[in-house]
Amino acid sequence: MTPMTRLVPMILLVLAAVPAAAQRSSEVVIDHTKVAWEKTPILVGLPDVLSGGMPAVQAADLLQAVVLNDLKLSGLFLPALRDVQGDSLNYQYAIEGTVEGALRDAGQTGEDAPTTVSLNLVTWPERQLLLNKRYRPLPSQLRTSAHHFADQVIEMLTGEPGICLTRIAFSRGAGDRRDLWVVDFDGEGLMRLTGNRTLNLCPAWSPDGTTIAFTSYRDGRQGLYGLDTSNGKVRSIIELEGLNLGADWHPSGKELVLSLSHSGNPEIYRIKPDGTIVKRLTVSDAIEISPSWSPGGRDIVFTSDRTGTPQLYIFDGDGAGRRRLTFEGRYNDSAVWSPNGERIAYATREGNHTQIVVMKATGESRRVLTDGTWRNAEDPSWAPDGRHLVFASDRTGVFNLYVCDVDEGTIRRLTSGNDPDITPAWSR
Amino acid sequence: MNHWYNRNIHVVLVLVAILVVGSLAGGCGKKPEAETDPTIETTLPAETVPAQPTPEPTVPEVTAPDYAAMDPADYGIGDVFFGFDEYTLSTEAMGILSRNARILREAGVTVLVSGHCDERGTVEYNLALGEKRAKAVKDYLVSLGVAAGNVRVTSYGESKPFATGSTEQAWAQNRRAHFERP
Repeated sequence: MTPMTRLVPMILLVLAAVPAAAQRSSEVVIDHTKVAWEKTPILVGLPDVLSGGMPAVQAADLLQAVVLNDLKLSGLFLPALRDVQGDSLNYQYAIEGTVEGALRDAGQTGEDAPTTVSLNLVTWPERQLLLNKRYRPLPSQLRTSAHHFADQVIEMLTGEPGICLTRIAFSRGAGDRRDLWVVDFDGEGLMRLTGNRTLNLCPAWSPDGTTIAFTSYRDGRQGLYGLDTSNGKVRSIIELEGLNLGADWHPSGKELVLSLSHSGNPEIYRIKPDGTIVKRLTVSDAIEISPSWSPGGRDIVFTSDRTGTPQLYIFDGDGAGRRRLTFEGRYNDSAVWSPNGERIAYATREGNHTQIVVMKATGESRRVLTDGTWRNAEDPSWAPDGRHLVFASDRTGVFNLYVCDVDEGTIRRLTSGNDPDITPAWSR
Repeated sequence: MNHWYNRNIHVVLVLVAILVVGSLAGGCGKKPEAETDPTIETTLPAETVPAQPTPEPTVPEVTAPDYAAMDPADYGIGDVFFGFDEYTLSTEAMGILSRNARILREAGVTVLVSGHCDERGTVEYNLALGEKRAKAVKDYLVSLGVAAGNVRVTSYGESKPFATGSTEQAWAQNRRAHFERP
């Protein structure tokens, strides 16, 4: 089975594991602004096994572990296993549930048999029901059901959508053979997306998640391609002479901005998803690359070395109103706008190494996230929650992906392996 | 200098081998005297050919070497190197490119110039920097009379290093424009 065909059932599984009735609740139980030291304590119970024997017992274990880990990784909760913590009064909320295994005489066995999962969010210790979700996952879909429920809990208690069903696309490989891969936000579900024995780099998710635009040498020269995430099919978007690099989708999904060099020099262009050029935004002899739309779709932050060193600039979608954003450091690149528009993350060079910086979109409050122990830290990409940032670092000697909780300043490792992982992109 | 001498010997040997094979395959009854074959002189740039007296042409028609099938280094094309974060040509690079231009004009072959960078810096900027390096090489070759259509450019940034390791020597090796068969 090729990676392409394997992608199809994976995507379908994800859809099937989320109930059709699932929709975002607009009700917010508690209205408070989260700061780094203010986390909600919550108990995560082991779902009761009503029937189904060992598969159901294992399903209950997995559900509890995944929900607990999701809430912890969100940075917004202090989750605890209920069987460890007992009925502590420190907790305001608890998660409970039931698992019913499949009936063997239903003609379904093993992997084909869905379990029936019911998960509840209740107040603690009153046990007033706040949220109930029911799922019918196959064994391979249990993680997705747990992620979905964790997202529902996070949204209900914080008012912010969770990121537990998001994924990170990236480039893995060495030399001139690097493929696109994708991994769940918690480091599970690693899967290869391309297999064309060339360089595949710089993935960018469309806002609706249906397409990953990426730069590839699959036809012998550099071009921008689009991978359909529902079936793994790849189509050409634009293949002009020279660079077709560093695409970022407009929030509407109706355009991309990228760098093309067919004019003889890397310049910023807006194009449609069918490859039609909408507008050329820069004209100079300098390198102009790495554009990123503001979340409102009005402005673009990008890199230009027109002063002799690569620096960040901002202009509007028509290329007007250009202003320089960075004055500190001799090498600033890879800027990405946070989902709420307030912050910009980028890579800066310090000595012989590259580090990740976060600052306000106005250029103030510059803060280096990675210190000298990180060797190189490059290619930041924001999670939809605007709190987490994925980047690539070779601190172990080989590039792997890491996730930083920007509000807390903590960093966890997302991928490991001997082949370098670079240019990560968080799904929207 | 020793390296250059060896490369010249190598070039001559390759051409000799091609001539011999080409003649035999052509069914030529007379065994050609490859060492004195005049086509060696006419197909090689003057300065890379050992000075030899030209005898009267005895085998006037021999197939020219198939440059398009050869690695450019094997017919005397040299790579050029760049300074840290730079994409302007040094005088040394211009010297190498002048020699390359003479060979390319004569051979009339299409080559691919790939731009490379050292590992420092970001993936995207290095791809653009590599492109600028390859483009600077192309522009200079074209200014010396090489047909623009015969020089294609691409960039691999920091993805295909020639030397591994995080040393000044490795970095210097990797900041280059490399000539390859397209």
